[in-house]
Amino acid sequence: MSLEKLLENPRVWRGSSQIDARARLVSGYPELDRCLPGGGWPLEALTEILIGQYGMGELRLLMPALAQLSAEEIQTHTGEYTEPGWIAWVAPPFQPYAPALQQYGIDLSRMLIVRPKDDSELLWSAEQALSSGTCAAVLLWPDTLDDKGSRRLQLAAEKGHSWAIAFRPLAARQQPSAAALRLELESTGQGTRVHILKSRGGRPTVLDSLL
Amino acid sequence: MTRAWKSPVPVRDAAPTSAAEQQTLPFAEPAPRIKPLSVTPTPVRRLWFCIWLPNLPLEACSAADVAPGGHKAAGAAASYRALAIVEEQHGIHRVLQADPVAAAAGVMPGQTANAALALLPTLRLEERSLVREQQVLEALATWLERFSSFVSIAGKDVLLLEIAGSLRLFGGLPSLRRQVSKGLGVQGFSAAMAIAPTPLAATWLAKAGRRTCIRAEENLGPALRQLPLGCLDWPAGQRESLTSMGIINVGDCLRLPREGFARRFGAERLLELDRALGYLPDPRDSWRAPERFCADYEMTEEQSDRELLLNICRELLLSHEQFLLARQLGTQRLCFSFFHIKSTATELRLGSAFAERTAARWFDLLKIRFDALRLPEAVIAVRLRSGLSQALQAETARLCFHNKSGTQRRRYSIAQLAERLVARIGSQSVNAMTMVAEHRPEYAWGVRNPLSDWSVSTLTIRDCIKRPLWMLPEPALLPTDLGYPLHKGCRLTLLDGPERLETGWWDEQGISRDYYTAVNGAGIRLWVFRNRQRTPDWYLHGIFG
Repeated sequence: MSLEKLLENPRVWRGSSQIDARARLVSGYPELDRCLPGGGWPLEALTEILIGQYGMGELRLLMPALAQLSAEEIQTHTGEYTEPGWIAWVAPPFQPYAPALQQYGIDLSRMLIVRPKDDSELLWSAEQALSSGTCAAVLLWPDTLDDKGSRRLQLAAEKGHSWAIAFRPLAARQQPSAAALRLELESTGQGTRVHILKSRGGRPTVLDSLL
Repeated sequence: MTRAWKSPVPVRDAAPTSAAEQQTLPFAEPAPRIKPLSVTPTPVRRLWFCIWLPNLPLEACSAADVAPGGHKAAGAAASYRALAIVEEQHGIHRVLQADPVAAAAGVMPGQTANAALALLPTLRLEERSLVREQQVLEALATWLERFSSFVSIAGKDVLLLEIAGSLRLFGGLPSLRRQVSKGLGVQGFSAAMAIAPTPLAATWLAKAGRRTCIRAEENLGPALRQLPLGCLDWPAGQRESLTSMGIINVGDCLRLPREGFARRFGAERLLELDRALGYLPDPRDSWRAPERFCADYEMTEEQSDRELLLNICRELLLSHEQFLLARQLGTQRLCFSFFHIKSTATELRLGSAFAERTAARWFDLLKIRFDALRLPEAVIAVRLRSGLSQALQAETARLCFHNKSGTQRRRYSIAQLAERLVARIGSQSVNAMTMVAEHRPEYAWGVRNPLSDWSVSTLTIRDCIKRPLWMLPEPALLPTDLGYPLHKGCRLTLLDGPERLETGWWDEQGISRDYYTAVNGAGIRLWVFRNRQRTPDWYLHGIFG
């Protein structure tokens, strides 16, 4: 049996050497980029960020990427140009503060803040925003998100070529999820430690004092 | 431009060479015996009825009071207060018009608002609203459509009707005039009216206050010649310079040499005179009342099957689409009414960000709302009414040569997405953001409606001091320990600061605070401030995220 034939077998997992064909976006943190397969955030997929409490640096982690998405039209790895996208915030726990977002270089005219009443409306709104094809990124803060919900988000993100980012409590670590990337933020005295729990095409890692 | 204009119409000063050229001197002669520029005699004689509403600012305001339900008028009469319309001129509010009660108390146009209030303390002052006046004018134009097929809105306060074809139907000119006059009076409008063969002549005659009716074109010239220049809609500067030359009426103007007149006052003024006298055609835009769609679907027996009801709605939407397609129009509002035998009808209103006609998109929105709709009993009939129809907006597409894949990425635009979200979770819950030029952190941003304000440009403020990404809705009081602020039972370490913000004294929401960046026991960076007013308490205002 030749090597090529062997590699075609779907049961063979090739780890980081397998380049994912999906779009990637540089995170703005070179250390993190090195650990992510393809060298950036996996766009057109669901990313989960597990946090113990709000304000651990979860937004700062995303800001360079979101600024890139909202600013100019960007060229993806396939050479296509995409229009500057909207960024939807679904059920944020506090008010995203406009002056700070502008300081990070985000175009405020392309922000949409949605405050649904319950979790089913939240999931519906996030799905609508993801699959519309106009939102470059959808940030959501669900109270609960089951396996089925995460799969729905993942599919909607693929359909609309959009990036879903779900912020979830630490307890969600035990639950299975369809997310392409799962991160956990841990606050230490010196800074914030980032654990890569799951990365499609990559391997789990720990990054010390990234933020 | 003047050269091109000059050549076909020779001037009076030039030596006349032939009889043909002399004919083209329209108003150089005392009375044009031969009709100039009469290449083809006008086949249809037209008659223009002009209605000038000099008191429109005042009457539009009082009409707005009565409009919402006629029964309110009785209550309003008991507590009637004199009304005056004010307009801002050079930063000072001055009275523009006053109603008879106010005028009797001495309130005069041109007075300042304070002077008017001093004369009559109970006076109600209203700011002039051009939008409201335009709406009233459009409503009147719609009402006037019963008298003529050609109604035109000319300027801020003038309506024109072409009545040559309506005379027989309405029993002659005096009768038609009486009916219009009476109708306007009932609606509470005082109008100056005049009738003439050209629209401009009718307007000028109405503004001059002559209740004239000129039917024959040969009488037009003599009537216009007597008009003072004041009733012409010319700039005040030009009128003044004409008056200082001793030219006080239209007849004096017509005696001036054409070329010199055009050079000094502009060719447009000369053309206006020609149009008024009927030497040049004067086409006008015709007003059309916006059309609404209304269709019913009646069933032979009551139905409660929601699937079936949805299908009926789809059929109604399809015929609505046909209606709009034939007129190249769209609409922003739709209303479905589901009629029941015992209960009152259930209404379902839909809104869209842009004028829209496609049944598929309306159906999409309907489905979202219909799921949540509760029908008290079975439905016997469905009615679809559309809001005001308006011209469709063209969409900007992009030249996408580099998009080789050719697949349509966008399923819907952001407006469509916002519509769908609003349809399901309510308009209060879907917002866009904007910046406000303000130093107080809690007022430095604002929300805007994603469905309506699209063109809002966002202000760019570059503060050098970092602001937190999360803002608390209200500053939260922090407990203190020996003067040190505590967060979750742990003393805060202050990293940066203070940044003193002391502003807002002008609107009683003034703040005087020292802002610090602090870090709590868990290593989370917080934005806290110490209040410098009243009690020196510590508050948590934001989280750096």
